[in-house]
Amino acid sequence: MINVVDRRLVSHVDWPLVAAICSLTLIGLSTIYSVTWDFRNDQPGSAFWSQLYALPVALTAMLVCMMVDYRTLAQRSLFLYGGLILLLVAVMFFGVVRGGSRRWIPIGGFSLQPSEFGRIVIALVLAAYFGGGRRSARSLSELAGAGLLVAVPFLLIARQPDLGTAATMLPVVLGVTYLAGLRLKWIGIAAVVFVLASPLIWTYGLQDYQKTRISTFVNPEADPRGDGYQQIQAKITVGSGGFYGKGFRQGTQGAYQFLPVAHNDFVFSVFAEEHGFLGVLAALGLYLFVIVRCLDAARLARDRAGSLLVAGILSGFGFQVLYNITMSAGLAPVKGLTLPLMSYGGSSLVSTLAGFGLILNVRMRRFTN
Amino acid sequence: MEIVEIHERRRAEETRLTGLRIGFAVAFVLMAVFFWRLQVLQHARYEEMAANNHLKTVPLRAPRGVVFDRNGQVLVENRDSFTIAIVREQVKDLDDTVRRLAEITGADEEHLHEAVKRRLREPAFRPLPVIEHATFAQVAAVTARRHEMPEVLVQQVPTRAYPAEGMAAHAFGYVGEIQEAQLTSTEFSQLPLQPGAIIGQTGLERFYNEHLMGTDGNRFVVVNSRGRELEEMRVEAPVEGARMQVTIDYDLQKALEDAFGHAGLNGAGIILDPNNGEVLAATSLPAFDPNAFAVGIDGPQWQKLITDPLRPMTNRVLQGTYPPGSTFKIVMAVAALEEGVITPETTFYCPGHATFYGRTFHCLRRQGHGTVDLRTAIEQSCNVYFYNLGQRLSIDTIHKYAAALGLVGKTGIDLPGEGDSFVASTEWKRRTLNQPWYPGETISVAIGQGAVAVTPIGLATMIATVANGGTLVTPHLARAFDNGDGRGWQPIAQPAPRSRLDISPENLQAVRDGLWRVVNGAGTGRVAQIAGHDVVGKTGTAQANVSLQNRALAASRGVDVRDHRWFVFFAPRDHPQIAGAIFAEHGGTTGSATPIARHVLETFFAKLDGQPMPVLPGTRTMPAPQPAAPAPAVVSVRPASAPRMAAVSTPAGTPQ
Repeated sequence: MINVVDRRLVSHVDWPLVAAICSLTLIGLSTIYSVTWDFRNDQPGSAFWSQLYALPVALTAMLVCMMVDYRTLAQRSLFLYGGLILLLVAVMFFGVVRGGSRRWIPIGGFSLQPSEFGRIVIALVLAAYFGGGRRSARSLSELAGAGLLVAVPFLLIARQPDLGTAATMLPVVLGVTYLAGLRLKWIGIAAVVFVLASPLIWTYGLQDYQKTRISTFVNPEADPRGDGYQQIQAKITVGSGGFYGKGFRQGTQGAYQFLPVAHNDFVFSVFAEEHGFLGVLAALGLYLFVIVRCLDAARLARDRAGSLLVAGILSGFGFQVLYNITMSAGLAPVKGLTLPLMSYGGSSLVSTLAGFGLILNVRMRRFTN
Repeated sequence: MEIVEIHERRRAEETRLTGLRIGFAVAFVLMAVFFWRLQVLQHARYEEMAANNHLKTVPLRAPRGVVFDRNGQVLVENRDSFTIAIVREQVKDLDDTVRRLAEITGADEEHLHEAVKRRLREPAFRPLPVIEHATFAQVAAVTARRHEMPEVLVQQVPTRAYPAEGMAAHAFGYVGEIQEAQLTSTEFSQLPLQPGAIIGQTGLERFYNEHLMGTDGNRFVVVNSRGRELEEMRVEAPVEGARMQVTIDYDLQKALEDAFGHAGLNGAGIILDPNNGEVLAATSLPAFDPNAFAVGIDGPQWQKLITDPLRPMTNRVLQGTYPPGSTFKIVMAVAALEEGVITPETTFYCPGHATFYGRTFHCLRRQGHGTVDLRTAIEQSCNVYFYNLGQRLSIDTIHKYAAALGLVGKTGIDLPGEGDSFVASTEWKRRTLNQPWYPGETISVAIGQGAVAVTPIGLATMIATVANGGTLVTPHLARAFDNGDGRGWQPIAQPAPRSRLDISPENLQAVRDGLWRVVNGAGTGRVAQIAGHDVVGKTGTAQANVSLQNRALAASRGVDVRDHRWFVFFAPRDHPQIAGAIFAEHGGTTGSATPIARHVLETFFAKLDGQPMPVLPGTRTMPAPQPAAPAPAVVSVRPASAPRMAAVSTPAGTPQ
């Protein structure tokens, strides 16, 4: 099973990617340090410490995901899938409720959010599904099979309710099927249908709070104290940073709590405030570098399952990065979506690094049999 | 699986991966452009918005300048009062906070709600005053609960303290919060005023607001999103307003008001230095209590004041216009003499009435005064004599002399809201009624009835002009300012006389003689006679503004229809030092203005001669002048005030 770490494998680890990932994680950590500073006691806030403690756990998870051969994992992905479903069902019964939704299972002093690992499992399952044999995403029946696989955890997560996390599984599906040969024509048709159906979705498919969120995005000034507040404050936070930024721990928008959940969903806004456009360029560069290296891993993968696995994980990651950063600048509707690697959140960090462990895994095993 | 197929697939995959790569690259470039726009192009705008978020300015109210009388006695000062305020930003449930606050302070809950409602539009971080001038018990109650109710604050605010019993209330005026319309008015828009600022609303407080108000200070603080203060960046200390010395003499002011009170009369009184127009005392009764305004007057109280039929808010000294009655004969005498229509020795026969233009006019004494010259005519107030002057002078000539003596238009006193004195002219009648002036109308004007209406301040300048020999001085109250820059008291320039009428000495002497005999001979003003001080004066009666037909009706409705009584005077005759006009509203046949003038004159001369102050008959001994503050007060006095106070009594360089 676990081969003793082969020297050849070590030499094929994508060290620049590892470096970029670690840099982004540390940037995130320092931003959390700055923004959650406790002025009353003049010390870092508790969020910083819990993020710091999650880091070794996440690195361990990454290491584990690198060491077990991804092909073994893909072969046994149905067991992982079953485990995920079990955990999600367990959440339904034993989960703790926070902020009106039941997402967490308490384990000791920590709490685990199984839905965070949904994306990885789905990527593995789909990679195994399309990667073995002659299956391709060109056939509707096979697509339907894949859809069924995704639908079960999707619905379980969506009814927690956590539509946001559930929705992040969709780019994973799209990424895998895209690379597996999904006809672009179908994507086009789906887009057209969506546009045509949007009035119906607006009328029947959306809850009032979701409608408010969208209309607020279009016109935040309509309710600057309420729903438009975060969006306006996000723009102020980013815009006030200027070219060079206000400097580390010199930001006012996040530290004085004008921008809510600044260490979490809006961590990039605060980063932009303190480090300015220059910092933004650096961070964007690092994220793009990570994505490009991952695309290379997909291209270099030894087999089709490896490519698809990388594509799935990368799509989930890329979508979340793009959406969150756009939202950080007040350019997308506010949605509780974290920025992978930088945002506060232990489970998120662990699952993200685990995902990268798998990508590194695929790349370093490109020559093995 | 065939090799070809695998290769084909591989190629397709690579194409798709390249597509992804391009897609991500484009997306990232787009994002960089977005951030460039926000952080570089629109930076200034967002930087300002961020600063507005966390930098707050908390105003610190400046104490207004202390007002001293001409002898250095404090008239208006400041005391610290406590204001209980709610910081709306920190309130969870406003109704609950108000209810609990009402409970612990014993204040009326409705009242608090109203105070909150009035200022809901102000920013939520600014403390919203709900109980002004809180008692010590209220302050203690709030302070004791400061942990339960962190949203309630106690602030220390300097507040105006005026002399008790509304002394000189109309002269001082009152202060109040600037109104919205005033913020944009030409009078105040030039000043650095914010909503909630305290400004003078009437009187000296308003006229010299810019001097007196000082400069409010500011605290610049950093707050978090809940309005909690994190740090104080900088404090601009408030600058106290300039100290002001007014021309009022506390003792004379008190004597004037005491005398009105003793007579049980309302009305107006104004005492001038005839040589330069300095106002020594001025009162309008009934008055209001300016302290009530400083404390923030409430709706019902204000309604009561402005709907009171006795109109306590009107400053009768400059806003009331009344027929001058017989006091106008002084103007007639000067006009006729100077125009050469008569000499002092010209006589007319008074049979008790006279007929002009087919109408009969009566004299005060039915049996007539017989043959009288000018001096006797003034002494006896003979109407017939002055009817004859009216027949010989055109209305426009009378208008001209009335203007030269200060009875047309405003006197230019340094108080806001002065009304116009009015004496008819042919031009006026043509303009307003489009009719010619009929000579018959001049006959009534000759004894101060008909188309004549003057303000008490106008009449006071008239008698002052006669006293000083023809110089129409401008009455004024401001004497010197000390704006605290270390230069001490700076006298302000005396307003220039408005005009000068060269009355020939013989004519002047004749008028003065007549007026002297009013008081010291067989005239109507004998009450004002003071041995050793040649008081001269003239009484007058003005019909209340009710027509004869309606008198009975008005009286039955409780409207006071008794005539008004005037007394104008100056003294001593040959070197006048004091002049004035007393207006006794609805004095009727018994309530004369003369005793009021007498008490003021006695006080003036007693002070001048270093004698004990006179006591009004039938009153208990008056207490010595008290310090002006109504309550034990924390007075903001500059450390160096003592030596400066001494300098006040003879301000260096004040023009005499």
